[in-house]
Amino acid sequence: MFALPKSSLRSLLAVPFAAILLLAACSSVPEDERTDARDPYEGSNRKAFAFNMGLDTYILEPAADGYRTVMPKAGRRAIDNHIDWTGLPATTFNSALQGRFENAGLSAVHFVVNSLTLGLIDLTEDPKAVKSQDFGQTLASFDVPEGNYLMVPVLGPNTGRSLAGRVVDSVTNPMSFLKAGDAIQTMQTMRPPVALVSMRANLFEAFNDVKYNSLDPYARTRSLYYQGRAGRINAMVGKPTDNRTADDQFESFLEDPK
Amino acid sequence: MIIKSQIGILTTYLRAWLRGGFVCLCILPLFLTSLPARASDQIAAANNVITSMIRDVETYLETDSGNVEKRTENIAKLLDTHFDLPGIARFSAGPYWRAASEQERIDYIRTMRDVVIGTIVRNFDQLSGLRFTTIDSQAKGDKMVLVRGSFNDSTGKRPAVSVGWRVITPATAPAKVLDVEIENISMLVTQKQENITIIRQNEGRFSALIEAMKKRQPAP
Repeated sequence: MFALPKSSLRSLLAVPFAAILLLAACSSVPEDERTDARDPYEGSNRKAFAFNMGLDTYILEPAADGYRTVMPKAGRRAIDNHIDWTGLPATTFNSALQGRFENAGLSAVHFVVNSLTLGLIDLTEDPKAVKSQDFGQTLASFDVPEGNYLMVPVLGPNTGRSLAGRVVDSVTNPMSFLKAGDAIQTMQTMRPPVALVSMRANLFEAFNDVKYNSLDPYARTRSLYYQGRAGRINAMVGKPTDNRTADDQFESFLEDPK
Repeated sequence: MIIKSQIGILTTYLRAWLRGGFVCLCILPLFLTSLPARASDQIAAANNVITSMIRDVETYLETDSGNVEKRTENIAKLLDTHFDLPGIARFSAGPYWRAASEQERIDYIRTMRDVVIGTIVRNFDQLSGLRFTTIDSQAKGDKMVLVRGSFNDSTGKRPAVSVGWRVITPATAPAKVLDVEIENISMLVTQKQENITIIRQNEGRFSALIEAMKKRQPAP
């Protein structure tokens, strides 16, 4: 029942291996020439970003546009529910590691209850009661440094810490070990690309605004990523991040009237 | 005689001390009550700006005929009335504001204002049907208030969006909006980091940012 399929094993090994190769290929920008102190690999990160934008233009954006047009609202909600449901074991695992046992228990209950519908229909009273947690947040709660900014092909923006977290989350997710017939296997294989298209469709206008209207889409993406990630870590792990928050920046701005 | 005079001096000191103490006791509650009073004034001023701004937007939406010139005029008025444009310009230029010449600063404020107006005018239709509800207002120090709320689509087609308005509340000037946070992401911090990247890529030339902004503006 819980044997690891060979294809899953290959894909699990491929992610960190590719990341290591990518890092090895990165050449660091001298500190005084960086556009952002957290981004020493800006040259190679921008190449990965250009690749991701190409992928978006030719595959993801048209697919997301079609998905928005064709898929009824109820269908989209069911798919979003299923994707959220598959993330619940990781939330249980990471909440327990962080000592947030209420969230761990709640996510476990939500996972069991919604397994009746394979997560397609949310049967719980308050779906937003569970606060999603990943291993990157767990590492943050253990004061592991954030690491450098990394734009990863296909996966998008990350920090060293969040990328390591993603690898651990994919390895520890019990859904990866399921071997229960062709239907489940197909769902397993289909889930990552469907999740990507669904996410792109949900953020269609906002994403296009960054892509087509920014002065520098790369720099804007980096800023949005850091602020979003800092907000999640601050709100859910309760730890101040390594980065200056918006509050800090406005405070020093108001202290200096020039 | 000596004892009497010593008692007199002591009494004088005591009276002076009591008077001083009395004055202090009178002033202390005033001082203590003025702190929350200032905070509540700040919050009221910030809430008023947001309420007034939202009311103006709703009026413009009701009377909007799609005429671009009229829209531009309305949005310009909205920005000049409710937003702290010089503050937005100074913050978004980051450390390079100090190095910019007076002329560059003027050019930058003008270009930034045009870009913001153009962006809102082009996307004005998207504001239709949205209703803003204030959730709470929190003083951030004695010069700023964060008014948090959400935009809800009255047609139910779009999900609710959480929005925060950072309003500066100087004691001697009217309160004005400095920043908008969408889903806890500051638009001004994002713009600042993007601007800094562009200036650094161009060897610290502030004018490069102004040129890049002008290039992005659609032709009139």
